Amino acid sequence: MSTHHHHHEDFLFKYIFSTDHKMISKQFLITGFLMGFIGMVMSTLFRLQLGWPGESFWLVDALMGSWAEDGVMAPDKYLSLVTMHGTIMVFFLLTAGLSGTFSNLLIPLQIGARDMASGFLNMLSYWFFFVSSVIMLISLGVEGGAASAGWTIYPPLSALPQAIPGSGLGMTLWLVSMAIFIVSSLLGSLNYIVTILNLRTKGMSMTRLPLTIWAFLLTAIIGVLSFPVLLSAALLLVFDRSFGTSFFLSDIYIGGQVLEHSGGSPILFEHLFWFLGHPEVYIVLLPALGITSEIISTMSRKPIFGYRAMIGSMLAIAFLSFIVWGHHMFVTGMNPFLGAVFTFTTLLIAIPSAVKVFNYLTTLWKGNIVYSPAALFSIGLVSTFISGGVTGLVLGDSALDINVHDTYFVVGHFHIVMGLSAIFGMFAGVYHWFPKLFGRMMNNKLGNVHFWITIVSAYGVFFPMHFLGLAGVPRRYYTNSNFPLFDNMVDINELVSTFAIIAAVGQLLFMFNFIYSALRGPKAPMNPWRANSLEWTAPVEHIHGNWYGDIPEVHRWAYDYSKVDESGEYIGGEDFIPQTVPLAENEHDGGGH
Amino acid sequence: MTTITVDNINSRAELKRKTAKPLLWIGIMSIVMFFGGWTSAVIVSKGSISDWLSIHLPNAFYVSSVIIVLSSIFFHLGYLAIKKDQKKTLFIFVLLTLLSGFGFVISQYLGWKTLYENGIVATGSSSTNASSYLYLITFFHVLHLLAGLISLIVVSVKSKKERYSSSNFLGVELSLIYWHFLGALWIYLFIFLKYIA
Repeated sequence: MSTHHHHHEDFLFKYIFSTDHKMISKQFLITGFLMGFIGMVMSTLFRLQLGWPGESFWLVDALMGSWAEDGVMAPDKYLSLVTMHGTIMVFFLLTAGLSGTFSNLLIPLQIGARDMASGFLNMLSYWFFFVSSVIMLISLGVEGGAASAGWTIYPPLSALPQAIPGSGLGMTLWLVSMAIFIVSSLLGSLNYIVTILNLRTKGMSMTRLPLTIWAFLLTAIIGVLSFPVLLSAALLLVFDRSFGTSFFLSDIYIGGQVLEHSGGSPILFEHLFWFLGHPEVYIVLLPALGITSEIISTMSRKPIFGYRAMIGSMLAIAFLSFIVWGHHMFVTGMNPFLGAVFTFTTLLIAIPSAVKVFNYLTTLWKGNIVYSPAALFSIGLVSTFISGGVTGLVLGDSALDINVHDTYFVVGHFHIVMGLSAIFGMFAGVYHWFPKLFGRMMNNKLGNVHFWITIVSAYGVFFPMHFLGLAGVPRRYYTNSNFPLFDNMVDINELVSTFAIIAAVGQLLFMFNFIYSALRGPKAPMNPWRANSLEWTAPVEHIHGNWYGDIPEVHRWAYDYSKVDESGEYIGGEDFIPQTVPLAENEHDGGGH
Repeated sequence: MTTITVDNINSRAELKRKTAKPLLWIGIMSIVMFFGGWTSAVIVSKGSISDWLSIHLPNAFYVSSVIIVLSSIFFHLGYLAIKKDQKKTLFIFVLLTLLSGFGFVISQYLGWKTLYENGIVATGSSSTNASSYLYLITFFHVLHLLAGLISLIVVSVKSKKERYSSSNFLGVELSLIYWHFLGALWIYLFIFLKYIA
């Protein structure tokens, strides 16, 4: 083999078809962020329309061309943008981008493994994700536009190609893309679970695992159990669309013509969709909660409060997530008794969630807090998890939910509790593990500015939406200015849109910091945050196999911060004790050993 | 640059031994959820349709059930044989399993043919929800079975070449687990389609 050819192969297998979990993690991160950026631009565009309906904007004109005559977007394209924004943010940024990045980066490094159980499946998982991302983006440019039935793609809009412009090829591509996405997600999850259960280093018992790993494990289990159900629903939809079956379609007239379909039920789709859809909330949220646990403990220089309660509450959340889907369907004519059952199971989730919040706050309490951007975003997550969770109590109760169903109250709720919490967790993770990802440090000052702009503008966007919702403003409408009922709501919409623009501009700061630091940032030391977990014992430069020589052994849990001996001195002279340090005589292991 | 590969510290065979079976089991769990989604869909559809038409299953599906149980028994006998290092016996039983696997597919096809000839179709205006589900579920079971057949072909070639022994039969075990699962899945689907759908 010629030298030249050899180098070529090296490049191809090192950067493109890599089987190394650290490279795959970066691939997920960058693809996820690119998709997230596109999703954010979409939301800025439709916020312009919602804030100032019918006004012409050069940005809309420049980006949307003939879909926005004279800079005013067409109503059907508005629906496309809303649908694609939701799809991209939920699945591509916050499922694959978040879980794909941090599960890949941290699982082998924090449990002490050379790599994932199967590097090949891991590589496939990324490339399926990449292909599904490309197909989803291509669907923006096809005749009729991208899918427009909302990210929940309820039939009949999604099942009848002739229903609306976005129900045609755009919808077909949406389904193809999501089927490939599900395969990617399943391959990834399989790998994460098996790696965590089987490849832990010596001494790394389940109760010594960092909470990040517990979160990734449960996320993967939820994914393996719920995504196949979405796949089964998507296949039934494909058959209804293209092969003349009627799983989700009953007697329907279009343009005075009766269609051949009969006997199906769109409500069935809702059941199948939300059987994934609700666990999906926790697929998005749990990794962020795990990341936050890790960062809050490290940055407050205190052991995590209630380690076992944290694991228990995540287990409870994971279990409950499968028996609450009906709360998305209170207005489908559901038997009120069944509604009461779903109300009960939904409200139960408040208990483990409250345990988590309590533990975050008690960990921070009297801590010697280092206000790094990662710490700020983690604390931001606790804030959004509380404020979004509280409105969840309203929506989980069928008697209350029915009044605000499909209004901006719902939009405000889930954007805060799921969207903001998850993206804050993701930002926190990127700031915290950037040195592990790129071997360089990010700029903390820019990071702090980024945090304050983001949290203020994010609340500015989503908090007022609750008032719109309480006033009855429905979600997904192209304009509310045609309804005199909502005339006095116009100012709130302007305010929301203004904050949306500020938030979007604020993210440019992050992008600059990210790209500049990856290329030119100061070189990272091995353990910049003086943290305990195993990844900080691995060399800064990325080597295949993660550690030179033997894999380190683990002797304690990951949260021995500010641990003092009987005389009140720090054990080992520092306020942290890495997991690799053996327990002293009579020393108690926080993990319960 | 110093390169440390996975191979020289933690051998690939060791890695495979530790992880292959759990990977397969978790994969099986997600297939269970996939079919679970559809069979629950049948129950919901049946509950919401007043004139749900129950379909009499063709005789061929009964034959299929017998064949797939037999094939599982063959494969298991092969597995017991290789544990005792009887390499030729393994090959014979794997071959029998493979043949009965193909027999199952043919029998399923004959079942669909009978349904079709009796006017029970999968799609279009004369189809019903019950008939669509019946075709879809049985067809996707066969699709999953094709993966099992591919693994059986690999195992039969390797056993012909005597690549397996009493100390090295992970490949046989993996294929066996999946094949038993496919059998159990079919029996579940058969009972479901006969008594519930």
